Amino acid sequence: MARLIRTEKEVEGRVEEIWLVVDEDALEQWPAGPREVVGHATTRNDALARARGQVRYTADIQLPGMLHTAVLRSPYAHARATRIDLTPALAAPGVRGAIGPGECAELSADCAYEGAPVAAVCADTFRQAQAALELIEVDWEQLDPLLDGDEAVAGGRLIEEPRKHERGEYDRGLAEADVVIEATYRTQTVLHNSMETHQAICRWEGDTLEVYISTQYIWGVRSDIAQTLGMPADKVRVVCEFMGGGFGSKNNPGEYTFIAAELAKRTGRPVRCALTRHEEHVAAGNRNSTTQRLVIGARSDGTLTALGGEYVNDVGASGWVSMTEGPMLMLYECPNLRATTYGAELNLPPTLPFRAPGFVEGTFGLECLLDELAAKLDLDPLELRRRNHADSEPGGGRPYSGKNLVECYRRAEPHWERRHDVRARSTETVKRGVGMASQVWFGGGGPPSYAWIRVGSDARATVVTAMQDVGTGTKTTMAMVAAEELGIPVEHVTVAVGDSLRGPYATLSAGSSTTPSIAPAVRAAAADAKRQIVDLAKQRYGDDVEEFDIAELLSVLGNSQILGTGSRGPNPAGMTVLTFGVQVAEVAVDVETGEITVDRIAAIHDVGRVINPLGASSQIEGGIIQGIGHTLSEERLNDPATGAILTRSFDAYKLPTIADVPEIVTELIDVPDSQLTSLGSKGIGEPPIIPVAAAIANAIRDATGADVRSLPITRAEMLRALAEAKEKTRGAAAAV
Amino acid sequence: MELLRPSDLEELKGGLLIAGGTEVVPQLREGLLRAETLVDITELVPRGIEGTRIGAGATLAEVEAASQLPEVLREACRLAASPQLRNMGSIGGNLLQSTRCWYWRLSYPCRLHGGERCHAKEGEHREHAIFANDFCASAHPSDVAAALVALGATIRTNRRELAVHELYRLADESDRRTTTLGTGEVMLELEVPPAEASVYLKAMDRKRWAFPLVGVAGVRRGTVTTLALAGVAPIPWLLDGPLDEATPLRDTAYKVEIARALVARAIAKLG
Repeated sequence: MARLIRTEKEVEGRVEEIWLVVDEDALEQWPAGPREVVGHATTRNDALARARGQVRYTADIQLPGMLHTAVLRSPYAHARATRIDLTPALAAPGVRGAIGPGECAELSADCAYEGAPVAAVCADTFRQAQAALELIEVDWEQLDPLLDGDEAVAGGRLIEEPRKHERGEYDRGLAEADVVIEATYRTQTVLHNSMETHQAICRWEGDTLEVYISTQYIWGVRSDIAQTLGMPADKVRVVCEFMGGGFGSKNNPGEYTFIAAELAKRTGRPVRCALTRHEEHVAAGNRNSTTQRLVIGARSDGTLTALGGEYVNDVGASGWVSMTEGPMLMLYECPNLRATTYGAELNLPPTLPFRAPGFVEGTFGLECLLDELAAKLDLDPLELRRRNHADSEPGGGRPYSGKNLVECYRRAEPHWERRHDVRARSTETVKRGVGMASQVWFGGGGPPSYAWIRVGSDARATVVTAMQDVGTGTKTTMAMVAAEELGIPVEHVTVAVGDSLRGPYATLSAGSSTTPSIAPAVRAAAADAKRQIVDLAKQRYGDDVEEFDIAELLSVLGNSQILGTGSRGPNPAGMTVLTFGVQVAEVAVDVETGEITVDRIAAIHDVGRVINPLGASSQIEGGIIQGIGHTLSEERLNDPATGAILTRSFDAYKLPTIADVPEIVTELIDVPDSQLTSLGSKGIGEPPIIPVAAAIANAIRDATGADVRSLPITRAEMLRALAEAKEKTRGAAAAV
Repeated sequence: MELLRPSDLEELKGGLLIAGGTEVVPQLREGLLRAETLVDITELVPRGIEGTRIGAGATLAEVEAASQLPEVLREACRLAASPQLRNMGSIGGNLLQSTRCWYWRLSYPCRLHGGERCHAKEGEHREHAIFANDFCASAHPSDVAAALVALGATIRTNRRELAVHELYRLADESDRRTTTLGTGEVMLELEVPPAEASVYLKAMDRKRWAFPLVGVAGVRRGTVTTLALAGVAPIPWLLDGPLDEATPLRDTAYKVEIARALVARAIAKLG
């Protein structure tokens, strides 16, 4: 029976109360550990087709008569187009339509960042559209750009009111400390660099708009478009069957979708609007840079007495202020805390969520600071973390639904112990060391999400839900859960996702929420189907059907099919649902050239029950590799005077290559969070990238004594930190 | 755009010459080069490697595999670019690469493009030069060129013979070109004199597939050691004085430090 409940919903730290329709009978938890299907490494059900290039991404879709779009973007960080003439472009060969400011909600003559969309042209070919773009006549009035976060904060140019957190008595906490350390950490702007660029194809079929789009949220795109264009939502069909990555940058429709929709309306043809790789480097979102001025106070035994932080997020022209202070608030039991987070409004491209937004940046600052404290107190960094473990939400808050961070620390010990051997392999010029960092993040998912399951007399099943698989293996996870509950082989389960017309609502694939949200709904649907099957079989065979297997029971069906439905129930009331973990990094630093080599990273994560160990370890490896890029080589650079974006290609913007990837050891605690859902599974998409930078930076400190405080740790930053450490040692020696 | 495949060098009449295309094609795409006519010279330029002679059309992968060639050159090839690029890019083309200076690549009206200022000097220049950077602060990207300069290699073109270092010139107010190659002049062959010992050391921002922050090519013949550096000046830089003479920019002093370390290591390795 469907019922309406009121519950809390959290996405990446933002919590809201919602009314929710649920339709599930409580299912018993499966016992911990591997089952018949769940808990066993399973190859993705679409792996072969993907590897063979047989699957159809949005970028592969060719509709008959489809036109291609090029977008005119602001060449300046801050400017106004005082005159725009589209006429010459409209007269160019192959051009079918052109729109400018006022003709589509996303186009504007007032440009607050380089890359802001101003006008668009569609033509028979993309080259024709690009050529026509050059013919658009624009008079620009250039305005002074504001580019510095501190300057914006000082001048009150903020995205929103500063976010303040106060716990206990901060000043008293500092006064009680035996040691106080202040340090400033900086993180850089990095780009998502999805393999598939941001894009959509729009086609009008009568009054219905079909949208093929590379997206992390089919239903969000549907409702955003309906709202913006003033249409009933059921007149918008959104399709995303296969997707080439998003990492948080594809949660919304984006200007490309609205441009394509408007041009499709004007031309009566399907229209593709796809960003080029260059545009991805400019106007497709980013993880904003931050400045973190941190303070830590502790007693000589390592007990924290105060944590303080002033965070400046360089948000850009618009966007939201990610929770850079999150790790400071959530990771350790510290009675006194004061944190303020500012979101600087700048003439830079707007930030978009990027794999654990805020927490990647904030963990770098906090976990480096903790190791600086450990060094100062001459305490073991692992022991320091244990001493400040939070048994419930710090500051006497709510209990956790499940937390196994202590077990993560225990499992980290053998990796941590290696530091003696690692250090011993140092030479005169190459210093080696080991560092660690903890991780806290959300990832419990939540309602609403719904799944249907169709079972035939051949004992094969199809899971139907209008969820998207953003490349994380969601479809395989769902097939495994359905197979487990029904008692059939996983190969006998087909999963149909990616079409708002063909399945029920499913959640946004962000916040590590996909699996913990949809998998319980799939299990509920499978259980519903199974109940129906058993009921029918009893009518044929009597009550004694327990020893029949599902295939036998189903044989009574003939051409009939069973439809099971399921929904994700609410999260446990009054509890905080989080994921935890720890990573241990081993590095080698060439102290003469500043070269850093990451040799090994061990990752131990607590994300509840692991449904597919292979999928989980892949997520961890991917997160660590992306984290290594963030730590060592990636940075979007701007001209300091004009804000112009300088790194627009892959030779200038340096992603890690396979040669930069260390040995990665993954371990999962794999204990179901019994409070959470009937599966007890949480998400693993974001946790693994969170501690990477701090673990590497702490390993560098262990190896060399140098405090690196700025990302990426370029040769220049490494050599600066080494020189500073040398100076410090010399000063200390002189003092003696 | 038309593509010509002439059968004889004599038939060359203008057009943009292209061999492996790893440099020319991206520049065409970026609008840094414009051409109505592309001239494919892969059939005109020798490609084989015989003894110490290298056809200018030989790919970096082929040079890397030629075991009779000095280590410095083979290592410079091995550490350049990616395997895919090394399989396509020719050694002649490699020597003619343009700088990776982002201002130049983004067509800023900088001095190399004929303009009045060097945007990098005031702007973002962490990858830029520490020598000869007053007029233009760009850094030369070729590892291979530094190796050949250190080796004292010579080039035979369809018009003349010249030392590799003579291929390059510093841009100045009156002439913004960075090479001395004339219009219609085509590199045909390189002559690489043997070395008793040689070495190439490279610092880059990741383990592979990046241009040199600093590359150090070292060659020893008897008691004479020659050093040439990549990534430190607008042209491959023959090091004929102490590194103290470097004139780093605000954010390139770290390159001097790296160069100092790599030069010391190169000399130690050369014995």
